Amino acid sequence: MSNRILEVSDLSVTLQRAGKPITPVEGVSLTVDRGEALGIAGESGCDKTLTLKSIIGLLPPGAVVGGDLRFALDRDEPVAYEPAEVHGHGISMISQEPMTALNPTMRVGDLIAEGPMVHAGLDRSAARERAVELMRMVGIPTPERRARMWPHQLSGGLRQRVMIATALSTEPKLILCDEPTTALDVSIQDQILGLLQDIRTRLDMSIIFVSHDLAVLGELCDRIAIMYAGQVVEAGPVDELFADPRHPYAEALMHSVPSFAETSEELEGIEGRPPDPGSFPEGCRFAPRCDYARDDCRIASFELVSIGPGRETACIHPELIGGRQR
Amino acid sequence: MTFLEVRDLTVKFRVGSALVARLKGEPVPDLVAVDGLSFAVGRGESIGIVGESGCGKSTLAKAITGLEPPASGSIWLDGRELTQRRDRATRRRTQMVFQDPSSSLNPSLTVEKTLSELLRVHRLVPKDEIDDRCGQLMDLVDLPRALLSSRPRSLSGGQRQRVGIARALALEPEVLIADEAVAALDVSVQAPILNLLNQLRDELGLTVMFISHDLAVVRYVSDRVIVMYLGKAVEDRPAADLFDDPRHPYTKALMAAAPKFGVKKAPGESALKGEPPSALDLPSGCRFRPRCPIAQDICAEAEPDLTGPSKTPRAACHFAWEGPGNSG
Repeated sequence: MSNRILEVSDLSVTLQRAGKPITPVEGVSLTVDRGEALGIAGESGCDKTLTLKSIIGLLPPGAVVGGDLRFALDRDEPVAYEPAEVHGHGISMISQEPMTALNPTMRVGDLIAEGPMVHAGLDRSAARERAVELMRMVGIPTPERRARMWPHQLSGGLRQRVMIATALSTEPKLILCDEPTTALDVSIQDQILGLLQDIRTRLDMSIIFVSHDLAVLGELCDRIAIMYAGQVVEAGPVDELFADPRHPYAEALMHSVPSFAETSEELEGIEGRPPDPGSFPEGCRFAPRCDYARDDCRIASFELVSIGPGRETACIHPELIGGRQR
Repeated sequence: MTFLEVRDLTVKFRVGSALVARLKGEPVPDLVAVDGLSFAVGRGESIGIVGESGCGKSTLAKAITGLEPPASGSIWLDGRELTQRRDRATRRRTQMVFQDPSSSLNPSLTVEKTLSELLRVHRLVPKDEIDDRCGQLMDLVDLPRALLSSRPRSLSGGQRQRVGIARALALEPEVLIADEAVAALDVSVQAPILNLLNQLRDELGLTVMFISHDLAVVRYVSDRVIVMYLGKAVEDRPAADLFDDPRHPYTKALMAAAPKFGVKKAPGESALKGEPPSALDLPSGCRFRPRCPIAQDICAEAEPDLTGPSKTPRAACHFAWEGPGNSG
C-alpha cells in the first residue's frame, strides 16, 4: 500500500485579467503522505492560497487548471480526480477568517450538521447529535448550548473551532488550512495549532498548512515548501530547510523573522516585492531581488531539482548560499 | 529622568444602552479598558506594550495622544500635564503610526499633499520651504522622492507604512507611538520597517512606544516591556530580563504559547487555557486567577500590586519574586 495521499505535478492556474490570460501559478509539484503535515510559506502575493484552492476546485469562473492532480480517496494509490469531486469528499478546507466563511444565518450546530447529512446520509436529528459530538471533539465547552448559537455570538477562537468541526464533519483524509490562525491571539493560536496537531495524530489525517509565519509552520509541519511568484522554489523537511536553506528566497525570508532569543543581529528583510503575475521576469523570478543573482540566473529555466534526500531547490547556484546561519 | 508619565490612568467605555439600564433600574455598565495604569518612560527610551486583543493597549495609545478621554488619572509629558484639551503645539508632541496604512491614509491625496498639509496647518516651516521639507521627510523614511506624487493606492504595503511614519514625523514629535505598525506587513517588509524605527529613534532622539501582540517584534525594538492583561499592567521589566526570566505567570504562559522561529516546540502545551474573561465581568482578586496555573486562595481575595525590588522590575503577582525565576 502506498503511503502517498496527494500528488500534484506541474500544476498551473490560468486566469483572465482584463481580457488577457495570466498564469499566477505555474509548474507547482507537491506531494503529501498519509498523516503528514506539509507547510507552504511565502510572502503575500505568491499565490499560496490560489494553489490550495485549485486542489479542490474553488477557483473563480474562467480559471483553467493544468497539470496532473492525483488523490487517494478509497484506493491505495493516488488516482487522477476532478477537483470539484473531492471538495467535501475526502478533502476539506479551513480558511483564515471564520466570520466570513461561516454562514451567518445558520446556527452553528446546523452548519456542522450539514456535512453528516449530505456526506453520511444521516437524518436531521442524528446529524445534530453528530455535530455536538464534533464540537466536543474540537474542544468547544458546553457544545449542546453552543450548537444553538449563531456564529456572531462566538469569539474568534471558538469560531475557528467551529470551522474545524465543519471541516471534520465530512470525515476528510486531507485538510487544507489557509492561514487559519493569522487573525487570532497567540494564546488562542497555540490552542488551535495544538488541536490541529491532536486531530492529525488521532485521525491519521494529512494537512496542508499555508502560512506566512515560519515559526507557526515550524511547530506543526513535517515538510515545508517555499513558494515565490507562483512557483515552489524550495522544499524539504522543516528542520533541515530552516537550518540550511538552499534557495536565496528561503534564506532571505528566514533572515527577516525576528528571533525570540537574540537581539544583536540586525534583521535584513527583502527589497522590493513579489512580481505581478502579469509581468513575471524572464529566467529565475527571484533574480531581481536576489543578492546572489548572476547573469545566467536571468535566462535559467525553472526546474525544481533534488539536492539530497527529500530536499529540492529551484536555485541554479545553491552553492553560493550559506555561511550565514542564524 | 522621567519624560512621559502615566499616573493612575483609567479609560472607560459605555457599553449597551444607558437608557435601557436606567429604565430597568440597573447600574449603567462600563467597560474598563485601561484600569489604573501607572508607568514612567525616560526621554529616548523605547517601551514595548504587549498583550492580547482587548487588554487595552490601543486604548492606552489613544489616551496618550488625546484621542480618547480618560475617566480618571493623568498623563504628563516633560513635567507638564497633557489635558484632554490640547492646543496644536501640544498635539504635535505625541504622534501615532497606525496599524493599517491603507485605511489610515487619505486615498485621494498624494503623498506630497498628505505631508504638506500638515506642515502648512501647523506652520512648521515657511511656505516656500514646504517642498524641501517633504523631500527631506521622504529621505528620512528611505522612500524615493519621486513617490511624492503618488497616491496610496499605487504604493506597496511597506511604502504606505513608511508614508504613515513620515506623516507622524512631519510634526516633529517627541513621542512616537506605533500601534501594531507592522502587523499587516509581510516579514520581508516588516524587518526594514523595524530597523527604520530603531534608526529614527537613535537619530532623532525620539521616545518610542511600540504596541504589538508579537513578542519577538517587541523584543527587537524595545528597551523595556510592559505586559498588559485586561486593562492592567502585569509585568514591567527591561526587555532582556523579561524575555530571559519572566516573573508573572501570564507572561510565562504567553511566551510559552508564542511560536518561536528556530526553537522546536510542540503547539498546544502552553499553560494558557481558555479565553480571557470579559472585561465587564472581572473575577475577584487577581484578574488572571481563573487561567493561572499557580493560583492560590489569596489570589481570589487580594488583587496583587505591581511591585518589585526596584522601580522598573515590577510584576503584579503575589508569587512573582519568590524563589528563583525560570524561563517560560
